[in-house]
Formats: sequence, structure tokens, C-alpha cells
Amino acid sequence: MTSILEWLQFVLAPQSINGLSIGVAVVLMALGLTIIFGLLDVINMAHGECYALGAYAVVIILGMGVSFWWALVLTPIIMGVMGYAMERGLIQRVFHSKDRHTLTLLLTFGMATVMEDAIKIVFGANPRSVEAPVTGATELFGSFFPNYRLFVMLLGGAIIVSVWLLVFRTSIGAIVRAAAHDKDMSASLGIPVSRVYALTFAFGVALAGIAGVLLAPIYSVFPTMGRDFVLMAFSVVIIGGMGSIKGAVIAGLVLTQIQSISSLLISPVWNDTLLFGIMVIVLMWRPQGLFGKLGHA
Amino acid sequence: MKTNKLVAIMALAGLSTVALAQNGPIRIGVVTPLTGTYAGIGEQVKWGLNLAAKEINASGGVMGRQIELMYEDEEANPSVAVQKAEKLFQTSKVDFLTGTVNSGSTLAVGQVAERNNKLMATTVSFADSITGERCSPNVFRVNARAGMQSAALAAWVASTKPGAQVFYLGPDYEMGRSTVAAFKSAAEGKGAKSVGELFAPLDNKDYSPFFGQIRSGKPNVLYTSVAGNDTVRLFSQMAEFGVSRNVQIVGASGTVTGQNLTAIGKAAEGFVTGAGYSTLIDSPENKKFVEAFKAENKADPDLYGADSYGVLFLYKAAVEKAKSTETDKVRTAIRDLKWSTPQGVKTMRGGDHQAMQDMYAIIVKNGKFEIQSKVSAADAIGPDTCTKF
Repeated sequence: MTSILEWLQFVLAPQSINGLSIGVAVVLMALGLTIIFGLLDVINMAHGECYALGAYAVVIILGMGVSFWWALVLTPIIMGVMGYAMERGLIQRVFHSKDRHTLTLLLTFGMATVMEDAIKIVFGANPRSVEAPVTGATELFGSFFPNYRLFVMLLGGAIIVSVWLLVFRTSIGAIVRAAAHDKDMSASLGIPVSRVYALTFAFGVALAGIAGVLLAPIYSVFPTMGRDFVLMAFSVVIIGGMGSIKGAVIAGLVLTQIQSISSLLISPVWNDTLLFGIMVIVLMWRPQGLFGKLGHA
Repeated sequence: MKTNKLVAIMALAGLSTVALAQNGPIRIGVVTPLTGTYAGIGEQVKWGLNLAAKEINASGGVMGRQIELMYEDEEANPSVAVQKAEKLFQTSKVDFLTGTVNSGSTLAVGQVAERNNKLMATTVSFADSITGERCSPNVFRVNARAGMQSAALAAWVASTKPGAQVFYLGPDYEMGRSTVAAFKSAAEGKGAKSVGELFAPLDNKDYSPFFGQIRSGKPNVLYTSVAGNDTVRLFSQMAEFGVSRNVQIVGASGTVTGQNLTAIGKAAEGFVTGAGYSTLIDSPENKKFVEAFKAENKADPDLYGADSYGVLFLYKAAVEKAKSTETDKVRTAIRDLKWSTPQGVKTMRGGDHQAMQDMYAIIVKNGKFEIQSKVSAADAIGPDTCTKF
């Protein structure tokens, strides 16, 4: 190995930038999860399967001969509708009972199992590949990056910024934060709380769907893809603070960077173990995560 | 009077059974995967064996007796292979057994063959231990083993890139680790330097996290033993990320085959491997074999088909030399026997029952395989590490 500068430019930089493209997708997943928990106090165990369904939606749409860009636009809408139906039809029913936390956990876990098996039956267990809509590579700082990964980074980043602006700078966001902070007060002020709940759940699921669309060309599409990826999203949410958007974004980006850089020293197969190890340490030291909850941040 | 007649009839029946056994077909059992992950390999094995049996029977059989192949499906599972082998030895009374693909199956069936005092040969399994520390007096290997493949490849690397810096990337299971270890020792023995070693899980989707250490090691040669779809993904991603620029990629003989070559496309260009067979071997026997194989099966033979074709001719030569199908006589005859195959004349080394053959370094050029160089049988074979007989 020659100079430090060369190492920084040709080894660390590409590794770090690649980590960013994965990090952006993880943050999108984590955002959906944390918003749903922050507002509804529901841990959506089916989040991974919503991500998988987003990816399969691309497979269907491409199979019909429609372009990837339409898939990018249509999938969040489809997943949003599905999320709205899930919330209204299933979660609302158990929402007002005393054991809400356990029941919603079991309910979403059940939905996850049903969705995964339904995928297996309809599409088969074999992985499917999806062609990236953007091909070729660009040279950045002396290393090559596939254009599609750069695109994921930019689009994902744009979506994250939009979500942030939506939640913290618009009146819709204010309504959601108010409902999260104090449900009864908001209701008495005329906010249609149950509709806000359903729409927020739909929004979180739509974000998972977008993550699925963006990652499909990179990771290929297979029935258990949700299960593997959602564990990472959960860890990010827990470390960042359940319900905190700031926490999800910062934790997501920082953790994927830690994984990328550690892959230079140890085998990448330890990435997940490293992540869970950090999660355990954070939980022991600061159980509420690094930052607070949505309504209380 | 009646008893005498009875005895006479029984004696006649007994004599004719014996006579029938000496003149009836020679039964050869084939335990090979006909379904499951390795079904494609089993298919080549079947094609090779069927073609050889057809040719041998057409020219009069072995010592006047026709060859009868009896197939059983091992499903690439050693415990199933053992059951099927027992059945073939005890119920169908086969004289000889072949066809095992999975190295675990070969080792397990070898023990069955010992218990039944019969011989078997593998034409596919390449774990070194089969004719190494786990050798058996009843097991023979017709194909090249892992050490021989590495020898051919390491020789080519040493001649084209002396003092190479090699990075190893293999799938994280027995085959991956043992092929990397075999090539590493062969390459280091020829002066190469190792700059890193990584193992990715089988069926890994995204190899980009692994590229960091590859970039850091700055190799000029990369050895990989991934196979099937893993090869497609790894090679495409290496091309996308520019990791394969200015790096010579080499690999195990199963990494790039006819089955995934088209899917890998341009990214496979320049890939080199060491193997014991190529349809391009320029000998009259090989040309005849390839033509006959293609006419019969509408597909090119690969190393599995070619070696399975060769094993029946080995058996024929041994039985004719021993003038018997008795196990001990055939075993003595096979040891150090030379016989003709599409790859030329092979010698079955008596010390460890491993066939010696020339090995080739094969390159992918313009989407086709081409022979680059050859390592002679004597240089490729490696030492005899079998101490059991």
C-alpha cells in the first residue's frame, strides 16, 4: 500500500460512497417504520414484506412491458392504498383494546407471514432479476460507480429531504405531529385522527415500497428479501430512537458507513453482526435510542 | 430313480446358471444425480456412459459379453447414494459401479463397495481426499482432481504473470474453501504473493462490500471459485465497479461453464481456468468423440461427459487384461493400466488409483473457450499421499 492519500481516494472513498447508496435505502425503510411507530405506536412487523411487495410490483409492471419509471411512480400509490386498507381493516379493529401493543405486534407478524407465503405461491421461490433502468458507470474521484447506484443515492436523498420538509415544515406535518403528541386534544380540535392514522400508515408503507423498487435491480427479487432487510431497518430505528425521524436518518447513514468501512478490515459477512452488536450496546446504554419520539422530539 | 432324476435336473440347472453368468451381460451400476441441483451434471454423465456402452456393445462387448447399464438416482445426496448402491450391489448384482458426482457420495459409496467386495470409479468428484488421505482399494478416479486443476492454472499464471499478487474470493462452503486453499498453495509454490482472501455466502446478491478489500489489496490476479448464478453476479458487478480492470481473473473449472457463459456475457472475457478436458483438444479420438456425442445428444460434451465416456473403456481394458470380472483380478489389472480416451492416453496410477492426464489452461475469448497452454500429466499429478494400500 502506498500513500495515505491514495488509500483515501482509491479505497476509502469508493467504499464510503457505495455505503451511501445502501444507506439511503435503509433510511427510507427506517423512516416508514419510525413514522408508523411514532404516530400509531404500532410496530409494523410486516414492513419488510411491504418492501418485498414493492419489488415484486416492479417485476409485474416490467413484465407488462411498462417502463421502470412508471413503476417508480405507481408502486408507492399501490402500496399506499394497500397500507390504508391494512390499517383501516385490520389494525383499527384492535387499536382500542387494552392489549393494543401485543395485539398489533401479533397482527402485523401474522400479516407478514401471510404476505410472504402468498408471494411464494404466486411468484415462486426463485429469485428474479430486474434490469436497472440506468446503465453504464461514471468515474468519480478516480473510481468507477454504476450510474444506477448514483441515481439511487440522489433520488433516495431527495425523497428523504422531502419527507423531512413535509413533516416539519408543512401544515400536514404539523397535524400528524399534533396527533402523535396528544391524540385526544387533537381530536377535540377537529383533526380527523383515525383518518390521519390510516394515511400515515399508508405513507410509511409507501416508503417501504419505494425502497423495494429502488433496490430491486441491486439485490434481485425473492420472497424472503423483506425478512433480511427489515432487521437492518429495525436496528436503525431502535438505535436512532423509535419515532424519531432525525434519529432514523442519522443512525441509518452512520451505521451503513460503519459497515462499509469495517468491510475494509474484516469480512463483509460480519456486517449484520456488527450492526446488531451496536444495537445491543446502544440499548444497554440509552434504551430510548439516540434521539426522542416523533411527537416529543 | 426319481431322486436321481431330480439331482440330474438340479445339476443341469446349476451348471446352466453358472454358464449363463459367464455369458450374460456385464451389469454396471450407475448411481448419479438424475434430479436436483446437480441434475445437469448427471445428464452429461448419462450421455457419456450411454455413448460408450453403445460403441463397446456394437464392437462385440467386453470379452464377448454386452454391457448393461443400470441407473439409479442419487439426488446429489450421499445417504441416498449409499442406499441405491447397496441395492445395485446386492439385488441387481452389478459387477462394477460408477456415476457418483458429489464428493461425499463417492466417499460413502466407496465404503459400500468395500463391504460388497466390488470396485467403483468416479468420473466427476474432485475433492483431493478421494485419492488422498481417504483413498480406498476399491475406489478409482478417472477425472482430474482439484490439485491437478490448480497445477495447470498456477503454471499458466506463473508463466504469464511472474510474481503475481493474488486475491482469493470463494463461496463460503467446503468446495469454495478447498479450491481456494488448493490454488493458493499451488500459486505460492510458483512464487505468487497472496494479498487477501475473502469468502462470500453462497447465493450472495451484492458483492460490492467485498470490493473494498480487493481495491485495498491491489491484486493483478483474482482467483474465484463461485459458480452458477453467483458467477454471473460477481463478474457483472466487478465490471460495473471497474474492479476487474487490469486484473486477470482466474477460477475453478466449474466457475464459467457452457451453462452460465451467455448470462455472464462480455464480463467473462479473458477468464482463465484449469481443466482436464476441452472439446478443442486436437486429437482424432477427441474429434470422433465430440461428433458422435453431438449427433447423439444435440449438445457438446463437457468434462463430465468425456470422463464418463472414458471410464467404460478403462473397465473394458482391465477386464480384458485380467480375463475375468472378478474384483481382485480386475483391481490388479487396473493398477498402472494405460488406456485410450478422448483426452489421449491416460495412466491409472496404482499407488492411489488416480488417473494421470495432461491438464489444460483454458481461456474465454470472444465468448468461446480456447486452449491456452498445457501441463503434462507427470507435472500435474502431484505426490501420492495414499497410505492405505
